[in-house]
Amino acid sequence: MSESENKHNELGSILIQKDAIASIARQSTLQSYGVVGLAPKNIIENIRQIIKKDIKYGVSVDYDHDGLIIDLYIVVEYGTRIKSITNSIVNSVKYNVEKTIGLPVRRINVHVRGLRISNMD
Amino acid sequence: MSAVEITKLSAAERHKLVSVPIDGQGLKTLLEAGMVWLKTNQQIVNSLNVFPVPDGDTGTNMVLTMQAAFEEVEHAGIANVGQFAHAIARGALMGARGNSGVILSQIWRGFARALDDQEFMDVNLLAEALDEARETAYKGVVRPVEGTILTVIKDISAQAEVSVQRTSSFTEVLSDVVEAAEASVERTPELLPILKQAGVVDSGGKGLLCIFEGMWRFINGDPIDKPITDVVPLSDMDLEDTMETIEPGQDYEVVIDFSPGASFNLEEYYEELTKIGTSIQVGEGDGMYRMHIHVPLDNRYKPIEHTMTLGTIQKIMMENLVAQMDERKNNKKPKIKLAQVQPDDIAVVAVSPGSGLSRIFASLGVAAIVQGGQTMNPSIKELLASFENLPTDKIVILPNNKNIIMAAKEAASMTVKQVAVIPTISAPQGFSAMFRLIPDGDFEENVTAMTTAINEVETGEITIATRTVKIEDVQVEKGQVIALHNGHLVASTQSIDEACEQLLIAADTNGYERITLFYGEDIKQAQVNQLADKIRSVYPDHEIEVHEGGQPHYQLIISIE
Repeated sequence: MSESENKHNELGSILIQKDAIASIARQSTLQSYGVVGLAPKNIIENIRQIIKKDIKYGVSVDYDHDGLIIDLYIVVEYGTRIKSITNSIVNSVKYNVEKTIGLPVRRINVHVRGLRISNMD
Repeated sequence: MSAVEITKLSAAERHKLVSVPIDGQGLKTLLEAGMVWLKTNQQIVNSLNVFPVPDGDTGTNMVLTMQAAFEEVEHAGIANVGQFAHAIARGALMGARGNSGVILSQIWRGFARALDDQEFMDVNLLAEALDEARETAYKGVVRPVEGTILTVIKDISAQAEVSVQRTSSFTEVLSDVVEAAEASVERTPELLPILKQAGVVDSGGKGLLCIFEGMWRFINGDPIDKPITDVVPLSDMDLEDTMETIEPGQDYEVVIDFSPGASFNLEEYYEELTKIGTSIQVGEGDGMYRMHIHVPLDNRYKPIEHTMTLGTIQKIMMENLVAQMDERKNNKKPKIKLAQVQPDDIAVVAVSPGSGLSRIFASLGVAAIVQGGQTMNPSIKELLASFENLPTDKIVILPNNKNIIMAAKEAASMTVKQVAVIPTISAPQGFSAMFRLIPDGDFEENVTAMTTAINEVETGEITIATRTVKIEDVQVEKGQVIALHNGHLVASTQSIDEACEQLLIAADTNGYERITLFYGEDIKQAQVNQLADKIRSVYPDHEIEVHEGGQPHYQLIISIE
């Protein structure tokens, strides 16, 4: 199981799993305005999601020395300004992850995988 | 018609522009009025931000979105209100900035969809359009957060539907809508805890309120280019600053916290206050107001009497400014003057736990100081910010605390500048390192010299134990005075004098010539001077110095060199 290591104090280390970070990023993304859903990263995830609910669905987390790298795969509401929406997502995910986990976020890549058309104007 | 002109129109002229039912040009005027009033209140909306994110200025974002919408229609001579609304929606979509801007553009989009291709808009159609606006705004998010602009548009549309049952007057419906929006904005802290913590209402909701309020004020003949009062949220009130601007005759400072009664009118209240005194500030938050005023001696009870008639007073603070100013002048501390860095020189950033220590660091040539110490470690961001703007690429960081070294190293790895962290674990080590600094010398040589220097000084720290514990074979009871020598516990005693005595024995002062005491904020200077005299009698060959350190928690930091 992959783990991400946080700072340690004299009593030991704190290990935070990528899943935990992914669920925070996911929560924060879904609360962002303009996002109407997450999308599978690839076909395997697509199939897996059908069988079992996966908390990492649509989110992938990685890290290096400089901090976390988060990829988000989203579906956006048709008729919104994608640039503004993605900017807001990046800001709020970075804020929420850094606030709750305390690790610096180095990159957030937002992949817009689709548009949902609920009304044609 | 430009933004400047519509603000100057008389009430009658305004009515002519917005004739009911509303056509395209009427909507344009309303849009402009909403935009101008929002712009007037832009700073107030901005000041309500809770999240420290880069695109967070809600007021600015909403104004820019509204401006983009207005520019799209400014020169369009469309008479058809439906087509006109579609043009507004298009402009808002293209210019949407930030979260609140995107939601605002969705509101316009829904609004336009309901108007479809109608020639005119009556109140029924307005209610329908607002409902569609709400629907569209909510569709844009999976998990809507209540207590935001979304809640406000929901309450607005609900009110509009109720109002059109009662009246067919456009002005009356708009007035109801504004009232509902106001109440809705006031309620946002109840729905969103983070707002309540910060003592503010939701900024996006407030922005939306401003837009509707602007339309209503325009029709009502009220000015829309002057803010009612410069009300700030409580958290933004800076009463310290007002001390500097005392005018002659304004001898008393009065601060009143109160919750307003039902008929409270801020505008009138403000006006009444201007007759009593100066430096008026009114802060608002969480259903409560805080008023600040400077008044002459004779008027000192007037603000209280006046406020009492308008609401329930919770707290009154009154201070004699003249006496206070005298006191201030007497113990005014010299400002810390940091070294000016020449381009290409080496700049030192020091973390300092107290004002006195900061002053010493500054006098030794430190270019930037970050506040921090035992219990309040500075963040990596703060460290980065301290040197990012210095006009040089060669940076040395003195963490002066073992808990900050890691953060300093991380900050070093996150910048393009050349940064060295000297692992100093105490202020005396930092001072010792500073003595070796040659700002225009070679970077590597400086770092080596400074790193070597930290071992040439012994550090002692005296503090009070916060809990009962046994460390390194020394039993410590809570509340006892403990002495640390280079970070290791060496003594646990009943008094500071005793702790100091044992510390100096443990440190083995032979071979050193100077003992410096930096006293913290929890100890009196007189006590430290007595202690210094005692040490002098025990160590006659050493030079004993006393400086104010100002650090919290540590009664004394002792440097032996």
